[in-house]
Amino acid sequence: MHLLLFNIIDQIRSLGWGGAFELLRNGIVLGSLYSLIALGYTMIYGILKLLNFAHGDVYMVGAFLGFGVLTAFGGALNPGIGLVPLIIIMFAVAMLGSGVLGVGIERFAYRPLRNAPRIAPLIAALGVSFFLENSAQLMTNGFQYNYDAFQLGGKNGNFGPLFDPVFTVAGNPVTVVQVLVVGSAVTLMAALIFLVSRTRLGKAMRATAFDQEAASMMGIDTDRVISSTFFIASVLAGAAGVMYGLYIGTTFYFMGFLAGLKAFTAAVVGGIGSIVGAMVAGVLVGLIESYAIGYVGGQWSDIVVFGILILFMIVRPTGLFGAQAIQKV
Amino acid sequence: MAEPQPSPESTQTKPLLELEGVWKSFGGLVVIDNLDLAVNENEIVSVIGPNGAGKTTLFNLITGIYPPDSGAIRLDGESLVGLPPHKIARRGAARTFQTLRLFLNMTVIENVMASQYGQTKVGIARAMLRTPGMRREEREIRARAEEKLAFFGERLMGYRWDQPAYSLSYANRRRLEIARAMATEPRILLLDEPAAGMNPSETHEITELIGKLRDDGGYTILVIEHDMHVVEGISDRVVALDHGVKIAEGTFEAVATNPRVVEAYLGTSAAVTK
Amino acid sequence: MSEAPGTPGVTPPPGDPTESRIGVDSWVAQAEGRRARRRGPARLLARGWEWSPDPVKLLLFVGLASTLPFWLNEGDLFNFGLFTLLYVALALGLNVVVGFAGLLDLGYVAFFGIGAYTYALLSSSHYGIHWPAEATIPISMAVAALAGLILGSASRRLLGDYLAIVTLFFLQAFAAFTNTANPTVHGVGLTGGPNGIANLDPLTFFGYKLNSTKQQYFFLVIVVAVVAAALHFINQSRTGRAFRALREDPLAAEVMSIPVNRLKLLAFVLGAAIAGLCGTIFAASFTAVTAGSFGVPLLILLYAIIILGGLGSIAGVILGGFVINISSQFLAPQNDHPDVKRWLFYGTIVLIVALMKPWYRAVLVLAATIAFGYAVHAIVSATTVATWTTGAPVAAGSRSIRDGIQGWVVMPHATATGPHVNFNTCLYIGLVVAAVTVRSLSGWWRLAALVPTLYLTAMVWENILAQNPSVTALILFGAMLIALMTVRPQGLLGTARVEIV
Repeated sequence: MHLLLFNIIDQIRSLGWGGAFELLRNGIVLGSLYSLIALGYTMIYGILKLLNFAHGDVYMVGAFLGFGVLTAFGGALNPGIGLVPLIIIMFAVAMLGSGVLGVGIERFAYRPLRNAPRIAPLIAALGVSFFLENSAQLMTNGFQYNYDAFQLGGKNGNFGPLFDPVFTVAGNPVTVVQVLVVGSAVTLMAALIFLVSRTRLGKAMRATAFDQEAASMMGIDTDRVISSTFFIASVLAGAAGVMYGLYIGTTFYFMGFLAGLKAFTAAVVGGIGSIVGAMVAGVLVGLIESYAIGYVGGQWSDIVVFGILILFMIVRPTGLFGAQAIQKV
Repeated sequence: MAEPQPSPESTQTKPLLELEGVWKSFGGLVVIDNLDLAVNENEIVSVIGPNGAGKTTLFNLITGIYPPDSGAIRLDGESLVGLPPHKIARRGAARTFQTLRLFLNMTVIENVMASQYGQTKVGIARAMLRTPGMRREEREIRARAEEKLAFFGERLMGYRWDQPAYSLSYANRRRLEIARAMATEPRILLLDEPAAGMNPSETHEITELIGKLRDDGGYTILVIEHDMHVVEGISDRVVALDHGVKIAEGTFEAVATNPRVVEAYLGTSAAVTK
Repeated sequence: MSEAPGTPGVTPPPGDPTESRIGVDSWVAQAEGRRARRRGPARLLARGWEWSPDPVKLLLFVGLASTLPFWLNEGDLFNFGLFTLLYVALALGLNVVVGFAGLLDLGYVAFFGIGAYTYALLSSSHYGIHWPAEATIPISMAVAALAGLILGSASRRLLGDYLAIVTLFFLQAFAAFTNTANPTVHGVGLTGGPNGIANLDPLTFFGYKLNSTKQQYFFLVIVVAVVAAALHFINQSRTGRAFRALREDPLAAEVMSIPVNRLKLLAFVLGAAIAGLCGTIFAASFTAVTAGSFGVPLLILLYAIIILGGLGSIAGVILGGFVINISSQFLAPQNDHPDVKRWLFYGTIVLIVALMKPWYRAVLVLAATIAFGYAVHAIVSATTVATWTTGAPVAAGSRSIRDGIQGWVVMPHATATGPHVNFNTCLYIGLVVAAVTVRSLSGWWRLAALVPTLYLTAMVWENILAQNPSVTALILFGAMLIALMTVRPQGLLGTARVEIV
């Protein structure tokens, strides 16, 4: 244990301020992906009180849909259309496809279980997650597929503009794709906040989350609201999948599991049901992971992340932004 | 049926249940406000008050579901504050729930057997070996459960023992809740709206039953009730709450005609016109 | 109420309109009606099962299980016998936590791993420690139980989904610890990393070695019987009732003098101890532990067992274990009974269709599916490039079956890889969409949609699933969990539960 601590201090010293900033940058970019996924968890949990284990796999499907579009247009090395329209189409297809998938999952796996014992939808969610993961394994033969984002937009296999630096802080470049990821994540979240707080649908969603029965008595079509929630949540996850593909580059059938797990914790740490909380905590989880990789070492990073998260959940299960619930008797 | 009992002031015995200066607030909203309450051995006390007066919170405080912010709660002279609910149940305070919280998927008799956990001892080692002592205790548990159910006449007898609780009618569920509370061998029974949702003849029956619980069962009873006929029929003493404050206490007649009680129930203008 | 209870048709005495006899007795009548509806052998079986006392059931299990070694060879006994019983024992432990106490524990497999690694460290040349089983089994169980106690007490205040996620983290942290962290102790990696620890000692009791699969199998039969009996007795005791009460309504249970937190811990510890025991047996029979054995796939398998059998039912868990493991072993890639695989698949589908009522609908659907298949096959082979129907089914024992399938199922030639990868993907997604469509239709439309769906199923099976048997098994478990939850959440032998009335 002592040794480990010394190692960490050594690592912090040797990386210096530049290294610290690099980790901060990586953490924020990774964290905005977690935030997008966590928003889906928090919305679905808020409205159905269901831990949707399959949500991480929707994100995985989104990444593969983006890859599919890329391949359909000739692949990263030789795309048939310009870079900007290509990325827009990738996002559009992945978001729409994931959204439809999410609605389908809700309709056929969760809706029949509305009045079932609490444990039933959880187990069904486990089943959906497992089904999606292994179906993806079957479809992709278990291989990793690469977006080849470095070459994307470049001519004849040359490097494209995605990894060009936009500006430099303490000797660390911030690249186009990092700006793109954080920028589009922020845009999507702003759109979500607007939707939830200002529109009719948002109002209906909040009412349904508060009391489904009462909402349906007030004339709200709760089934439709729940479907819409799943659609929006899955759209965000699909977008996160494409961002991951562009930023990290590889898609893999198993990538949804761990990401989903961490994003769910982000949702819990942020206080389940709280949209702002999910955003902040998503970035927080990304930062923890980034610093754990940098200072403690890659092989320990998951243990560190999960250890911190378990501690947090035990100490403050209502999360940072959640209200203390009063049990009604 | 309820004969007027000597008023608490005249008895020299120590009260069985005693609350002193109990406070409880939820996020700034005071629900129980400096409440004093005493229930004597073998007495039936009714708590009345409009919705939101803090009646059910009072029960939750006594049974340990929430701790009070301050004040003392004593059962037979021993403090209950800070004890977890199951220990309070072992000390002798058992309750029913206004919203009926039976173990719906267990059978009727199992519901009553399960709540004897606190007074029985056999652990899993002896249960796995099925020792003679364990079997004897099981027989005793069952006998006691049958005895408690027999208290309700034919209602919960015979073939009903092995039916799941969810197959019972509403009135029978209320009875089973009382039987389940009785099986913890309490000294004081806290009944939360035992007549809620019952028709007039069932209500009448419940009124008689509560009397019988005291007379034959020997329980001391604290009851929350909205139905004034029931309150009139059973109570030795009535306590009226409003916004967590005790606004009146005494015989039914005295409390029912107390202007503050009328005001709490009907609003200021009604009290004035009266 | 003067008349004997339970006699329907007697009008309640006047002056007692309170008793809703009709409502109550309709339940009794329904229960009797359900029982009477079964006919013939099914009814006899059900009655016999209901009436036979519990020791008889246990003896029946031991008797049937003991015959296996006499008609299975060593390899089959290992795959079908030993592993089935191992999963049954594991699932019995999981059933304590999930079925009895109603706690969704997703970290259960970690306790199994802890037991296995404990045995591996204490009975192998990894550190040169070779302790006998009479010492290592209690130690492994104690270590696993201690881990259960720690996890349980850390999360005792968490409910439902929070508990699920914390326990899943625990499993993930355990996997990361054994697989990637692998800290160095005394110059050797403690857990051996991804390679694990190999060359473990066989179970040795007081100098007597359980070397052969047969010996290990009989030891497991005893273990399962003892564990099942012990759990059955616990279930019938006051502790079992308290577990059920806590599963129904924790708050009401607490108020009714049941120490809820202590019982939750007890369930965790009991389950973990059983998992630890299974871990040692697994490690010793497999003679190796690897980090990959203790992951989410095993967790899903165990959940599939307890859900299929019926949560909370011990007999159901045993039955579920047999069904799940035997079918997953048949689907396994190393399975040397290729014909059986195909029979199992088509047999299950025909069986599911045959459950349809009335019977002539089932016949109609099956006949239509066969006809539909030949028609599609004829059209495709007549109109498109010949390679679309010249693919060969995966090697199966009998020549005639293969020919029959080749003439019925559209199978593109396997060598043409390029476009056919997409064909397979489209086929698979098409099947999922078709299945979902069938579920949302009703009446004759549903029957009509069922025919192409069944044919698509056969196509997907022959073209994709039969080629990737290990993934297929996992997909089928996932699909089964979803289908069971939506159709029959109580499983095969469980009783239907009512949540809100």
